[in-house]
Amino acid sequence: MSALLLITLSLLVSGCSGGAWLARRSAGPVGVFNGNSRQEPALSGQGRFLASVVDRGGRATLLLQEQPSGRILPLRHFQNRQPHSSPSLSWNGRYVAALVQQGNQRLALIEDRANGNLHRLPLPADRTAVRLSLSPEARQLAVQVAQAGQWRVQLFDLRSLLEPDLPGGLAVQGGGAEPSP
Amino acid sequence: MPQPIVPLNSRLEAIGANRDPALSGRWLALISGRGGREQVLLLDLERQQPIDLPGLNRADAQPVSVSVDAAGERIALVRQLEGRTELVLYRRSVQSLQPIPMVPSGVARQVQLQADGRQLAVQVSRGGIWQVDLVQIP
Repeated sequence: MSALLLITLSLLVSGCSGGAWLARRSAGPVGVFNGNSRQEPALSGQGRFLASVVDRGGRATLLLQEQPSGRILPLRHFQNRQPHSSPSLSWNGRYVAALVQQGNQRLALIEDRANGNLHRLPLPADRTAVRLSLSPEARQLAVQVAQAGQWRVQLFDLRSLLEPDLPGGLAVQGGGAEPSP
Repeated sequence: MPQPIVPLNSRLEAIGANRDPALSGRWLALISGRGGREQVLLLDLERQQPIDLPGLNRADAQPVSVSVDAAGERIALVRQLEGRTELVLYRRSVQSLQPIPMVPSGVARQVQLQADGRQLAVQVSRGGIWQVDLVQIP
């Protein structure tokens, strides 16, 4: 049986499940970073921005890219404090949340790319943050913690801290203004 | 300073051990464990009630990663089933489950559905290297 016929048959069979025909692509190039490892993807609400964790000189580093171009966007507050993990984006990519290392603790940070401000979410010493999820409007943050030997998910209200990032709002391109005092 | 949402956190505490939260709009999807089994849970945060997900959870499957769109309609799930890892898309309104094969073949690990539900990003292992695929959802 020719190779072409085999390929055609396999496509037809896999197409019966509906999944093979979904349009798909690999996420854009990572430029100067080690392009061979990319983890923990997070998309903004309409897919204009993609955050992921890449290997940068042996350190897990948060990367923010415009899609589909793959253009790397600057993040003011995620240059250090590796390893980074668990990125999460708001609807228009205004807010970038992730876990970073501070001393011997994991710390949740939220960068406001519109004005350069940084927000920290300190946790009690008996809890270790493992994973987080920022709601698209940036009204809430869910954090998975290890507490007393169990996984727990805790929710935090961000409404007094962040302006909402609503659908249809302006996408923030650059690294934001100097942080406000 | 962000404030803990005490009523919801108490509700989550009562549910049991929870992990891998995915917030979107009024919905919180997570993986919840009880009695040695884990399953996908979808919470309506406004009503503070779990939502039934007929046809999504299986007793013989291990959920790995879950994500939900802002409408609470689509849930993307990576799960281990019968010795393999698969990515599936669940549509709540019709209670349908659609497998999404990895092309080229690979092992899915973590998935995130963008809030408008039109695309998902999945972390995939191919040849020992982690990659990210973007899949359009019709």
